Order: sequence, then C-alpha cells, then structure tokens
Amino acid sequence: MSLNPYIKPKFETTTTVMVDVIIALLPLSILSYIAYGMQAIQLQLLAIGVALVTELISAVLVTKNYRSILDGSAVVTALLMCFTISPITPWYIVAFGAASAILFGKIVWGGLGKNRFNPALVGREFMATFFPVIMTSAGIWATTSYIQTPATHLFPGLTSDYLNSYLSGLVYKTSGAMGEYSIVAIAIGGLYLLIRNRISWHIPFALLAVFFACFWFVPDGDDLKFSLAGVLLGTIFMATDMPSSPTNTNGKLYYGGMIGLVTFLLLLGKVSYEYMSFSILILNGFSRFISLVFKPKVWGQPLDWQSRIEQIFLLTLAILGVTLAVISLDYYHMIPYLVYVYIVYIIFKFNFSFLKNISNPI
Amino acid sequence: MLMHIPSLKSKTKKTSITTLEASPFLYMPLQAYKTPLKPLVNVGDLVLKNEKIAKSNGVFAGSLHSPVSGKIIAIETESEFPHIKIENDFLDTCIEINSTSVEHLTEEEILETIKNFGIEGSGGAKFPTHTKYNTQQKNISHFIINGAECEPYLSADYAVMQQETEALLKAIQLVQKVIKAEKITFGIEKQHKELQSHLLKNAKKLNISIQIKLLPNTYPQGGELQLIKAVTGKELPKGSIPAEHGITVSNVGTLWAIYEAFYNEQPYIERIITISGEKAINRGNFKVAIGTPVSHILEEIGLPWNTENQTVILGGPMMGKAIYQPETPINKGSGGVLILPNPTNKRYNCIQCGYCTDVCPQHLMPMEFARYNTEKNIQKLYEFNLNDCIECGACAYICPSDVPLMKSIVEGKNLLHNA
Repeated sequence: MSLNPYIKPKFETTTTVMVDVIIALLPLSILSYIAYGMQAIQLQLLAIGVALVTELISAVLVTKNYRSILDGSAVVTALLMCFTISPITPWYIVAFGAASAILFGKIVWGGLGKNRFNPALVGREFMATFFPVIMTSAGIWATTSYIQTPATHLFPGLTSDYLNSYLSGLVYKTSGAMGEYSIVAIAIGGLYLLIRNRISWHIPFALLAVFFACFWFVPDGDDLKFSLAGVLLGTIFMATDMPSSPTNTNGKLYYGGMIGLVTFLLLLGKVSYEYMSFSILILNGFSRFISLVFKPKVWGQPLDWQSRIEQIFLLTLAILGVTLAVISLDYYHMIPYLVYVYIVYIIFKFNFSFLKNISNPI
Repeated sequence: MLMHIPSLKSKTKKTSITTLEASPFLYMPLQAYKTPLKPLVNVGDLVLKNEKIAKSNGVFAGSLHSPVSGKIIAIETESEFPHIKIENDFLDTCIEINSTSVEHLTEEEILETIKNFGIEGSGGAKFPTHTKYNTQQKNISHFIINGAECEPYLSADYAVMQQETEALLKAIQLVQKVIKAEKITFGIEKQHKELQSHLLKNAKKLNISIQIKLLPNTYPQGGELQLIKAVTGKELPKGSIPAEHGITVSNVGTLWAIYEAFYNEQPYIERIITISGEKAINRGNFKVAIGTPVSHILEEIGLPWNTENQTVILGGPMMGKAIYQPETPINKGSGGVLILPNPTNKRYNCIQCGYCTDVCPQHLMPMEFARYNTEKNIQKLYEFNLNDCIECGACAYICPSDVPLMKSIVEGKNLLHNA
C-alpha cells in the first residue's frame, strides 16, 4: 500500500544534494593541487578513503544502513575537513581526523542528519585536541618551501601594484588552509549551491552582514586579524551544512547573524585560528532550539509575539554566555577538556538513547 | 515559498471531451461529506436513469442518483467502500423530472434543486453545494471560480473552461441569483493564460462581468485557502467558513454539474475526468458516469487491470489514492484516473534540509510530524499544528530522503483524532 504523492522530482535525492556540494568543492581541490601539488591531493584522497572505510565499518557494526555509505556525505565531510587544515599536516593526523569526523561527528548521533554538530569541524577539533603540539605549532603553517605554483600578479594590464596584488590575491594565493587559496573559487562554489537550492541565501547573508557590521561599531576593529577566505569558506560550506543548521528561513537568518556576531566576539577575545570553527560549533549546538523558537507562523493563525521575543532574548543570552565561556576556556588552554566531555557525553547518549532510534529516519 | 512542479498536462490539455462507454456494472459510492448516504432502494429493484437511489438529511444533506437504468444487484454498506451495485440494462430509460424554466426559479427553488440533484464540490472535498450557497443573509462580496487545477496531469477543469465555456458561465449566472456576489473572479494559472481572452470574450457575449486572476504555477495553488489568499489577500485559517468573510469559492467542475442540473434536467450522475499517466495508452478528457469502476476505465482505454507493474490512481498524483480493488468507482470528487509506474522509494535519513518547511502551504514543520509520530507523542503533534495540515503532499514530494511524511501525517492525525 503506497501513499500519495505518486510522483517525485527526478534527480532530487540525498545523494544528488551531496554530489552538488562535491561539485562546488572541486575547484578548491584543483586550486590546492595547483598550489601544493600531489601532496594536497593525496591528503584529500586519504581523508576520503578513511571516511568511507569508517562508514563501512560503522554500517556493518552499528547502523546496518548500507545505503548511507555511498550517499556522498562522507566525501563532503572528508573534503571539508581537509580544507580547514594545512597542506603539510602529517598523514596519520589527517587519517585520524577523518575517522573521528565520521565516527564522533556522525555515527554516534545515529547517522547522517541526526548529528547536531558539523562532522568536518568535529574532526578538526579532534585533531587539535589529540595532536596539540603539531596542530598548533607555527611550523605547520610554514609551507613556503612546498609551494608548486607561487602567487603572481594576474592582471598585467593594471598599473597599480597594490591593486594588482590585492585582486590577484582574491583569485589565487598560497597561504592558509587547503580550501582557502581562492576567494573567487569559494564564491563561485557558493553561487552554484545557491542556484541549485542546496543552500539558501539566509545564512551567508546574515552571517557576513553582521560580521562586517561589527567592525563598524567597535573602535580598533581594523586591528583584528582574520582570514577572509577562511571566513568565507566557513560561511558558505560549513555554516550552511543542512543537518547542523536550522530548518526554517527566519531561524536561518538568526543563526547566520549569530555566527557572525560570535565569530567577531571570538576575534575580540583573542581566539586565533579557531574563531570560525568555534563560532559555527557553538551555534550548531543551538540549531535545534533556533528551529523551534523560529517556528514559522502557521497559515491564518496569530503569532504570540510576546513569548517569541522573550524566547529569542533568552536564546541570545545563552549563546553569548557560551561564547564567553569558550573565550575563557581558550585563554586557559582548556578547550581539549571540552572535547573530552563531549566524547564521554556522546558515548553515553549513544548507548542509552540514540542506538534505539537508529533505524528511524529522523 | 510555494513550489513549482511539472505540469504534465500537455498530453491531455487540448483533447476534446469524449464520452466513455458505459460500464455494465456500476458501484454507486455511498460515502458523502460527514454522513454516509442511506439507500432508498432494495436489492432486486429496477431503477431508471436519474432516479434517486440514496440520500442523507441534515445540514450536509446529499443524494445519489442512478446514471443508468437497470437492476440493483447488491448493497454493500459495510465494505471498504460502501456502495450500491447496479447492473446496467443499456436502455437508458430516464425518469420523468418536472422542471420549471430556469428564468423563473426563485432562490429557494434553485437551492432545493442543487440539493435534490446531489450536487457536491467536484474538487475533492465533496462539500454539499447547497450548504455552501445557503449563505443566510451573509453578504457575499466575492465569488471565486476555482480554475486552478494544480495537480499535475489533470486537465478536466481546463477542458471544461475551454470547451464548455457557455455552460460554465450560465451556471455562474444562475448561482449569482442566490449568492449575489459583488464581484466574480476566475482564478486560473499562468500556464493556461490563453483561457483569459477566451473566458472574457464569452462572458461579454452573455453580459456577465467577470475578472480573471492569473495565478502563479505553484503547488498547491488550487487549495481553497491558498486560492482565497491569492485572489483577495485574505489569509483564512484552516476550518474557517469563507462565507463568513464574504467569499464563496466554487470549482469549475461543480459549476458544470449545476449547468447540467438546470439546463439538461440531469442530476449529478456524470463528471469530466482526465485519464493520463506514463503508462496510459489512450489519454484524454472523458465524460464518465459516477460509479464507473476503475477497471472498466482501464479496459476502455485498452489496458488490463493489474497492480503489479503499474500504479492506478484515483485523483491527481499529489493527493489522489492508489487503487488496489478493481471495483473502486469514480466518485463526485474524482478529477482523474492516472496509470503511473510504481513508485520507487529510496529511504534515507532526514538531513534537516528544511525543504518540507519551505514548500508547506500552511507554514508547518512536516519533519516534526515524522519525528513525533514515531514517538507517538500526541502533545507534540498537536503543538506543531498537525491539524492545520491540508495533506497536499508537497512535503513528501520535495523530500530528498523519502522520509515517510504522508504516513506520519495520516497516522498522526489518527492519533490526534482518537486522543
């Protein structure tokens, strides 16, 4: 007995959603090859391989959901994780990160879609927590001697040297993490996802608008150092991750705006390198609440503005509180303890709750 | 944001309405709005064409007439679809119906005839039309004709608007005598905009002043609440009575039945449906008798009845129902019979994409119905306004993970109903 509707759009499945994200990420992969050659590609392929094997083992041992292995989400997670790290990260750390991303970012929640946090960022935090010496050393970003194609001036017609190097830097540069070599390529990927309706404009728009508006209001904001490409990569590919972001448009606007604000606060709080990951992970934690608080107004029904404003106020307070806590923990180098707590919490939660619902689609 | 779905109407849109050969057996459906109909005949009785064979009383009174002359051979009130089975004698002997000339009918007489002739909303809800038009001194400012046939494949309403234009407009004229609306608006989708000049030209000939509202080709544009919003800007909550807001909405098919009742003295015994779908051979718009079994329709277009390698659907592909019993009849609300390939479901986990929320015309969060139906959490289902769902199927259509949303909605509503 089948229920209506009896027609479905062609080529609109979870897999096509993931394939679209992979297509949008491909240019970044190619640029990392141009910049650092096979070394970058090898790390990405390794991460994808480890992620797929982890999926396979988890499917056999835990979820019994074999279709999820090849739905493409593991590839997306592996690529995104690689795009946040240095091209000279040791291979065993990358392999460890990819396995943790799948296992602790996704499987322990009950599989794709049920994860509260972005798996790629979970993988990244696991790498930083368990390999702190290598991952936080300055040496890991000293990549100059590995560059295959140095950045040059790409616009010979331009007379101004400053303008030329600025514009060329938008198209191609060689510093930063593996996904940060071209702002133009990131923007094109984002545009593709927008056109394909894989991301909506709400999160990126609100995020960037609030983030840059903050610089207006805070004196000395110009002194804060951040990577524009990193912020953009996080905005377009991480903050918009479907499972870990809110499901309705008003919620998305708030969520994006809050990531922008929290990112700025983390920068003010001297959180270096990790400001984007932390801000997205903090908001990931609140994503479900945001979806509920911003529940759309039902057709023809009144909306209780008073209680909604109150809820938004409390929610905002909670988010800011967590942000301040993260800044303090980071100051005292205690972020790893947060990861340990997470591991213990999630294993308990998995055993006593998530495992029971593993065959439910939601 | 409402969603765009393929129209799939091009194969049947322009075909002329043809009458389908009568079936040797008819299964007259006894289901009606709210109350079931009570048979007025017994097994073994001979009935004439147009004879009343079942009725119900009260505010939502309905009645059912035989579309053929013949013999009652079974009355099933307890089966899955309660019906009266008639064996057609193919003589089409009609019952005498006394009629007054249309021009001299009073308001009461018009309403009485609509009630007596068993006219119900043909859009699917089967709401008794006399109840709708009996507005009891409420001022109706706006009479909206629902020409938005937003279900893919279906083109029966289009065919009526295109080919039975005069009948349609005369029916509107008649209804106007009762409801006296200040304004008449035809809501049609942009994909049918060629109808605009056609309708206006014919209305001018009959001296009726109508307006045409071109609606976006979105789904579900033909839902009553969505149509009212698009035409008048008023957002009525589900369950409200449009007449209380000065609005009456009628479907094109209903108006055609009204024309047949008053100008051809024929009760609601036949309607126009679309036969289409990827697996149909002979597609088109057909006039069929109410009570015609789906298996007969398939036979007429040269397809064997089977449910293994095809899915037969009564109604549209979005809101219709798959048919597994060959005797299932055409009822007054069926707009079509579709023969489609079997659905292939590839079930994944919900990825929280929010597409279902984006397309929900009632602005609900359908994924929460799936979540809380598995938990049987009645309180949460209620809090997420499951009762406001109009079951249009848009969420299940768009879901990339094939989460069983419709199943959750149907089961969840049962939970709420029994709570």
